[in-house]
Amino acid sequence: MKTIKETQESLRKGEISPDELLAQFFSRIEERNGEVNAILSLLEKKAKEIGEKDEKAPLYGAVFVIKDNILIKGESCTAGSKLLEHYRAPFDATVIEKIKEEGGVFIGKANMDEFAMGSSTENSAFGVTRNPRDLERVPGGSSGGCAAAVADEMCNVALGSDTGGSIRQPAAFCGVVGFKPTYGTVSRSGVMSMASSFDQVGPLANNVEDAELVFETIKGKDHRDSVTSDLKRKKVKKSIKVGVPREYFVEGMEQEVKEALEEAIAKIEKEKEIEVEEVSLPHTTYALPAYEIIMASEVSANLARYDGIRYGLEFERPAAQTIQEAYLKNRGEGFGKEARRRILLGTYTLSAGYYDAYYIKAQKIRSLIAEDFDEAFKEVDVILTPATPTLPFKIGEKVEDPLAMHLSDIFTVTANLAGLPGIIIPCGEKKGLPVGAQILANRFYEDVLFDAAKRFEKAWQK
Amino acid sequence: MINKKEIEKLAFLARIRLDKSESKDIAEDLESILKYVQKISKVHTSDVEPLFHFPELRNVVRKDEAKTIDRDTQKEMMGMGKDKDDYLKVESIL
Repeated sequence: MKTIKETQESLRKGEISPDELLAQFFSRIEERNGEVNAILSLLEKKAKEIGEKDEKAPLYGAVFVIKDNILIKGESCTAGSKLLEHYRAPFDATVIEKIKEEGGVFIGKANMDEFAMGSSTENSAFGVTRNPRDLERVPGGSSGGCAAAVADEMCNVALGSDTGGSIRQPAAFCGVVGFKPTYGTVSRSGVMSMASSFDQVGPLANNVEDAELVFETIKGKDHRDSVTSDLKRKKVKKSIKVGVPREYFVEGMEQEVKEALEEAIAKIEKEKEIEVEEVSLPHTTYALPAYEIIMASEVSANLARYDGIRYGLEFERPAAQTIQEAYLKNRGEGFGKEARRRILLGTYTLSAGYYDAYYIKAQKIRSLIAEDFDEAFKEVDVILTPATPTLPFKIGEKVEDPLAMHLSDIFTVTANLAGLPGIIIPCGEKKGLPVGAQILANRFYEDVLFDAAKRFEKAWQK
Repeated sequence: MINKKEIEKLAFLARIRLDKSESKDIAEDLESILKYVQKISKVHTSDVEPLFHFPELRNVVRKDEAKTIDRDTQKEMMGMGKDKDDYLKVESIL
């Protein structure tokens, strides 16, 4: 697959016309989407806007699939939920506006776990997405549709959201690049909120260069998202130190994943001007429990807005006797099982008597985790970890066991807790399935992260 | 840990109606998750401040100016199909 810049070259030279470029993607979707189910709705008109774009624009030739929790004006936006089946977006998300201005177009909306809650895209009200590398297996989640679409060449780039690993874990499972920016660098205006202190928007792409290009376009302060901040450029060093945290190579990791990571580390150790050393992040074991509590708490508050009266739910129903009854019924029938579970868990952890023991305690653990990283980044420039503890698992394997499913995010949630940027790069294959490595940098050190990511990507492609 | 009465109370607080077999399932799921997250109670945190936000981030503020939004946009924003005169219409519930 060509990089976006290579595609631009081909378009400018006339080797391929914009219509031909789109036709390739449309025919791929037509041929494969029946099986893969990555795309929920096609945006033919939006894609054709490529004809009106400036050939010199930085994202000219970038054909996006957009996760279905990001608003594109006038288009359906379901968040994978029955509750929003009939909802149409009233405005463009800031990230969508920015991509449009910079020459990108949109070809489809991608399937996802309901309200971005899940690690397998099995929680969508519109059917499971399959991993294009092995149709019996999950593509990861919650941005599973985006990852599958990029991996299966239905587009050349996608935009997802990441609360605990929802861009990165599916990128690893589908063998593509997935990037979660520093918390606060990309606007969430027009993106459906899940857990607001973690949520970030970022690209899924074929390579690090494309991911960086998209990030450069969508980042920046936005008066419609009150925690956004502009990034200052960081100095990139010629010689870099890479930390490998010993706590990420212990519990419950599949042998194949461990081997692939060790091979990947051995490869970068051979590179010039890369030094690898062990680091320690002692509170890692408490990261997932703390994440579970904070995430569920924020989810229970954020999803209170879906009452079945606003946002276009159209149930056939006899009128309820009281407003309480209407809410109970609409929300009881509208939310899927995982959403119900998390809302109830968050209601519990925020309720009087439990608030201090769960929510406040978890926020304190979050401090400790962020401090672990602060310490580590005094010694090293970037940290290298596995992306996931397992290879892509089979459809149905974990769907009845929420805890096992949540453990799939064990290596990705730390970046959300500490607000760090993290990128997944495919680093090898085992049993014919992709294995991803994760690179983390300090908050707002995207420049350092992308520099390291490009060097590693090159080493692992050799 | 979570009994029948408690799960019913939670479901009411969250405004989510659960049928009986499901409330048993969900109570079990919540139990297993709560048991797992209990792990954090072992960590000493008496001298640790909660991390509610990151030190590098400052609130983005703007002037508090009233903007008029026409009724169509308002209707669209709410995602509600029906309107009457100057009002948005909801299902009758009383």
